[in-house]
Amino acid sequence: MIGKKTMIQLAAVALLASTGWASAKTVCYVTAADSHAYATPANKALEARAKELGVEILSLSQDFDVQKGTEQLNTCVARKVDGIILWPLDPQAYIPGLARAQQANIPAILINSPMSDDAKPYIKSFTGPDVYEEGKLAADSLSKALGGKGSVVIIAGQAGNGTTIGRVTGFTDRLKETNADIKVLDTVNADFDQQKALVVSRDLITRFGDQISGVYANDDTMARGFIDAWKEANPSKAAPPIVGINGQKDAFESIRTNEMYSTIVQSPVEDGRLAINTMAEIIDGKEVKDRLPIPLTVVTKDNVNSVEPAF
Amino acid sequence: MRFLSLASQYRVVIILGLTLIISALVVPGYFSASTLGLGLDRAATIGLIAIGLTVLLIAGQIDLSGGAVFAVAGIVSVMLQREIGILPAAIVGVLVGTVAGAINGALVVGLKVNSLVLTLATMLIFRSLAHWITNSQPVTGTDIMLSLALAKIYLEIFTIRSALFIVFIVLLHFWLTRTIPGRNVFAVGSNPAAAKESGIASDRIVFLGFVFAGTLAGLAGVLQSLVTNTGSPVFGSELTVAVIAAVVVGGTRLEGGRGSALGTLGGVLTIGSLTIAMEFQSVPAYVQQVVSGLILILLVVLDRAVTTKGRAPGTRPALISDNPVTQGEST
Amino acid sequence: MSDAAMEISGVKRNDRFTRGSRLVDALSKAGLAFAILAVALYGSVVSPAFFTSGNLLNVLTSMSIVGIVVVGMTFVLVVGGLADLSVPATIACGAILSLGLQPMIGPLPAFVLAVGLAGLIGLLNGVLVGYVGINPIIATLGIGTIGLGIVQAAVGGVIVYGSNPASAEFAKGRLFGIPVVVLIFLVIALIGHFVLSRSFWGRWTLATGGNYSAAEASAVPVQAVKAGAFVITALTAGISGGLLGLTLQSARPLIGAGYEFSAITAVVVGGVSIIGGFGSVPRAIAGLIFVQLLTNVMVLDGVRTPIQGFVLGILIVGAVGMDAALRKRGVA
Repeated sequence: MIGKKTMIQLAAVALLASTGWASAKTVCYVTAADSHAYATPANKALEARAKELGVEILSLSQDFDVQKGTEQLNTCVARKVDGIILWPLDPQAYIPGLARAQQANIPAILINSPMSDDAKPYIKSFTGPDVYEEGKLAADSLSKALGGKGSVVIIAGQAGNGTTIGRVTGFTDRLKETNADIKVLDTVNADFDQQKALVVSRDLITRFGDQISGVYANDDTMARGFIDAWKEANPSKAAPPIVGINGQKDAFESIRTNEMYSTIVQSPVEDGRLAINTMAEIIDGKEVKDRLPIPLTVVTKDNVNSVEPAF
Repeated sequence: MRFLSLASQYRVVIILGLTLIISALVVPGYFSASTLGLGLDRAATIGLIAIGLTVLLIAGQIDLSGGAVFAVAGIVSVMLQREIGILPAAIVGVLVGTVAGAINGALVVGLKVNSLVLTLATMLIFRSLAHWITNSQPVTGTDIMLSLALAKIYLEIFTIRSALFIVFIVLLHFWLTRTIPGRNVFAVGSNPAAAKESGIASDRIVFLGFVFAGTLAGLAGVLQSLVTNTGSPVFGSELTVAVIAAVVVGGTRLEGGRGSALGTLGGVLTIGSLTIAMEFQSVPAYVQQVVSGLILILLVVLDRAVTTKGRAPGTRPALISDNPVTQGEST
Repeated sequence: MSDAAMEISGVKRNDRFTRGSRLVDALSKAGLAFAILAVALYGSVVSPAFFTSGNLLNVLTSMSIVGIVVVGMTFVLVVGGLADLSVPATIACGAILSLGLQPMIGPLPAFVLAVGLAGLIGLLNGVLVGYVGINPIIATLGIGTIGLGIVQAAVGGVIVYGSNPASAEFAKGRLFGIPVVVLIFLVIALIGHFVLSRSFWGRWTLATGGNYSAAEASAVPVQAVKAGAFVITALTAGISGGLLGLTLQSARPLIGAGYEFSAITAVVVGGVSIIGGFGSVPRAIAGLIFVQLLTNVMVLDGVRTPIQGFVLGILIVGAVGMDAALRKRGVA
């Protein structure tokens, strides 16, 4: 029964610790996931900054499950925390939970992804990149590469996922807005997975062949899948311009070697830090803007050597 | 050995008790009514689906499509709100679950196919349907105030959802232990052939079991959609595994013929309180996974270690005994 | 169903039964062949690109990774082990370790070690299922959850990239014009087929799945045979994961998500009974070919993703339904 003893010791430590921190403010952070290329560095940055600010973080991971997240908001309210930072994975489902937080006088902000306008009354601010904005930037970048004319395929993330919806609709809306003469041949879901993107790209290349004059992938991982599929099919021919999002290290490499046209860098570290800084200001009673973006940098061959990759 | 068998008999109670004690030691204020109420509400969604699955598992069947039915029922109940009003839409949503269950049941009984494979297929079908009718976008309901009312805590501990769960599981307990149809479910699960010979309509019981499970998954989905004011095609994608784990932790066997409603209650509460306790301590999700996996394995091993007598390990379980040919029953 | 299995299980069966069973076997084999033919025909009608060697080679390459897992999963189903749900964990183990260990010990040892560790996960499954007698669904679910949790804890949010271009070139390359991944898949499929249909281990596997107690009575080491099926699946999933890592040159903890269901679907559509005691590797691969061709045709035809899932679901119901119906007639 070693387990019991350690447990009791653990408990004692926890009790001591909790009394020691009793005066500190606690912020509930409902994050997208614990183990993820973008979310992990964002979480770490947020927690590190919180430590500097003397704020205690109660970190809850949704593990990409919206339903779990909606229930975790209740946990936050029950813990009577001083603030909530929510990473929404759905534009609407959290609204009742946020409303409950408001009833309990707990201020809430959104990190990383936006929610629908209906959520506005219940949140103090939305910090971080805007996936919809990223879609628009990608559209601009791709239409620049194509000279405003062509036909493209979209390799989208998981169906029904907030990031996917934002990045796809941002892209298509922007094409309409600018009256670009760019046709979307097809939009396929590859779940942010490189292998799935590879398989589906093979089929797209077989189906459309030379009709494809440009590619938009919802993230760099899937862009890589298309590049590999293109190389298999046309070893000697250069691929059409490919635009990705995230700014991964390997995407930078691909841009240098002309395999990819552009990617969009958003820094997870800045994302995390901005959120906790904003929350700290709110707790101190300061007014904050309802929209605090982090810089989004479109990286092409022109600036690939002067920008840091995101991860 | 006697100690072991005692430990095994009450293992659900023991593990639940241990969870609560350790949680209370580690988490300050764990035993406050609001915390317990929260744990109960968190457990209710899993619990409602687990009620249906308990009956099915006892009858020797399984249903993997619960999470997908959960999503479809919720979507329907939200989509129809504008046309026919909230309450009728909710009822239709639950009925969608019933219909989905009836489809599962009819196919399993009618085609005489294994329920594991069949509900794997219908899981795919219902999930695709959810994406299809919503165009992969979440849909919003009309009344957010209702969502707030539904999540309200009554008597300091119950939400409507968790109260429903408790009532249903108590009803299930009495039905399974005190009524003849209830006991017949066990007979069907432990020996389908013998059950048939003694005049029990096994096919009907299996069919109704699926209808029951579908209805409860539908109910859970509708409640979830009302509480979040949203129907989403991705809801419930992680549910099925959690539900199976909860029911099995509660001592119900996948082989059929054994299980209890109160065991499931214990299993669901254990998972619920464990989740809350670990979340209160900011335990990373992957550690939570490891812990719940270990508890699952530990409990079933304990169960095996004590009750192997008279049953060779690996004996063909009832879950997979619905095909007479490969069964080797050529007589 | 092989006669050897009947003999060794010591069960006397009448001729009529065996005859019926053979007829059914032939019928269901023919059914699958027809189905594949029908999809191919439809494919060439809707898309001129379908019947090109390029496209068919693509389909073959795309199915190789999951195909390797299918070979292992066949053993699990035939031995009466229902399903191995820990495949995502073993694939992740294979992919992450075979890339992550490259800088330390070199590409080949990394690959071997990765596959070996995946096999160890399989051994855990096997012991729990074969010796302790735990239901395979629960055992593999639990072990899979734990395994994946550990992998995530170990890797964190880091994407593991490959650091050995030569091994990547090899995995992505071609031999005699055929992609290396496809060749490896074919070799594993051949070995799997040989073991299941020609070797004593295969006979034992069929016997254990067909009638557990009879096989036990005729001195088949049933527990080891049952455990072995899970080790085999874990090894194939480890190889599959390692190849996945090498071809993609990157790996994440959730890289293997969904492969368990794809593999089970293929095996079941191929007419391998989930009740055990019956089935072969070629049948399972025929099922895989059918599913992959169908998906390929749907993508070429521009069918939306949700509808693809819908069609696939209906198809599984049809396949198992038809199989059950045919078999019932066979005995009657």
